[in-house]
Amino acid sequence: MVVRFLKQMSAGERPLIYLNNAATSWPKPPGVMEAIAQSLSLPVFGSGRTTGTQGEDYITRARESLSALLGADTPENLVFTHNATDSLNILISGFLAGIKGECHVLTTALDHNSVLRPLYEYDQQHRICLDIIPFEGCSIRPEAAEAAIRPDTRLMVMTHGSNVLGSVQDIRAIGNILHEHGIYFIVDGAQTAGHIPVGLRDLPVDAFIFTGHKGLLGVPGTGGFFLRDPEAIAPVRFGGTGTDSFSLLHPRRMPERFEIGTHNYPGLAALAAGVEFIRETGMGSIMEKAERQTAFLIRELKEESNITIYNEHPDLPIIAFNIGGLQNDDVGFMLARGFNIIARTGLHCAPLVHRAIDGGEGCVRLSLSWNTTDEECRIAADAIRRIARNADSTVGQA
Amino acid sequence: MKEFLLDSPVTDGFFAYLRNFGKVESLPGVGEGFYKFEKPDWFSIKGFSRDTTVEVRFKKEVMDLTVDFVYLIFSTYRGEGEEIDLSVLKRREEAIGERVRKRLYGA
Repeated sequence: MVVRFLKQMSAGERPLIYLNNAATSWPKPPGVMEAIAQSLSLPVFGSGRTTGTQGEDYITRARESLSALLGADTPENLVFTHNATDSLNILISGFLAGIKGECHVLTTALDHNSVLRPLYEYDQQHRICLDIIPFEGCSIRPEAAEAAIRPDTRLMVMTHGSNVLGSVQDIRAIGNILHEHGIYFIVDGAQTAGHIPVGLRDLPVDAFIFTGHKGLLGVPGTGGFFLRDPEAIAPVRFGGTGTDSFSLLHPRRMPERFEIGTHNYPGLAALAAGVEFIRETGMGSIMEKAERQTAFLIRELKEESNITIYNEHPDLPIIAFNIGGLQNDDVGFMLARGFNIIARTGLHCAPLVHRAIDGGEGCVRLSLSWNTTDEECRIAADAIRRIARNADSTVGQA
Repeated sequence: MKEFLLDSPVTDGFFAYLRNFGKVESLPGVGEGFYKFEKPDWFSIKGFSRDTTVEVRFKKEVMDLTVDFVYLIFSTYRGEGEEIDLSVLKRREEAIGERVRKRLYGA
């Protein structure tokens, strides 16, 4: 037998069924692809950076569309960054830059490494004292958040929706408690923006993070945050903005306070188109379809007694499971290679969730999008059930 | 992780041959039959019967020592029913195993 050459994963003969939308959504609406092509068909139009006036102002368009979708009244307080992790780093570092000495910070066991790692780094440096609030069921109880507050607690950073369990957290109740104690509240909406209504107008949240390439249907390399009071966060990056160029100090007005260098124009064109697609489709329709398809998949998987589903009632189209007797990684391989179904396996960058639910072994995650079809759900359910039915009796026998 | 494209599909016999070097698990009822070979501390090979592609995952700390052995076991296999002289492979396995153990465990 001869190894002919190394090969990348290809789609193969069967149609590709993509159920990894909580990582990056795919496929994108046609309008998103067209917007990228359109944005590159003319020179970049960037105010203050060209004498040209041709082309669309994609940045303003994306800022205004997304502000409207998230229910934010002040589009200039919506800042674009590279992604959610980038946003979290800017916000956490910028908040702590304004704090003298060590302070107490809270986060949760549901959170992603994009939250945990920056906070653990600051904890190691004795800039903060970090406490992790455990989850019960699939949620953080507001009472647990309240009980964790200390006199020196200054900041809480937490996820809006778990990327493993698909549970949406009660950030209104938690935010109200935190604000009663004067604690700054940063919410990571990477998994919720584009999937559920957010309503920033009256949410007790100080900063809300989004990413462009998941539920908002844009492309990787776009993200950002909404900031209620820009003065609460010190800028930690400085450079060219195309404005106030004579000043050697970085402008402090929004959004230049946090946006440095040339924007990702094709990415923001895609983001604007993705958001416009969501607004045209309607959040109600998106949620109804997601709920129906998620419920179908869970109902099907529950038919097999050796499948463990970690949240049978997720708020988001995310299904986390394991099959008894099989490693999650092997199930992912079988789905991909045997059925051309793309899921995600392992720890999903949320180690504390897995420590609690599966002993840190990880699980298989299916995540749907608006573009997932009922037929794809049926095929995926059949494939998983077939693997489960064949699991216990045969493993270990060659 | 690397994916290898082979000149002919892997067979049940190929995975049976792999049992000479480690542990093989199978799920014959999934697709054309799922197979997984594990050689702890070295690498694992996963694939489906009748597929020309297999996935090989190496333990990265010793990949430089073990990668040639993957090519060796593929190139030595001649097909179902063909006699294979394992003595050379076994000697090579032992020599590499010694170096892997030293690298990973210092003994």
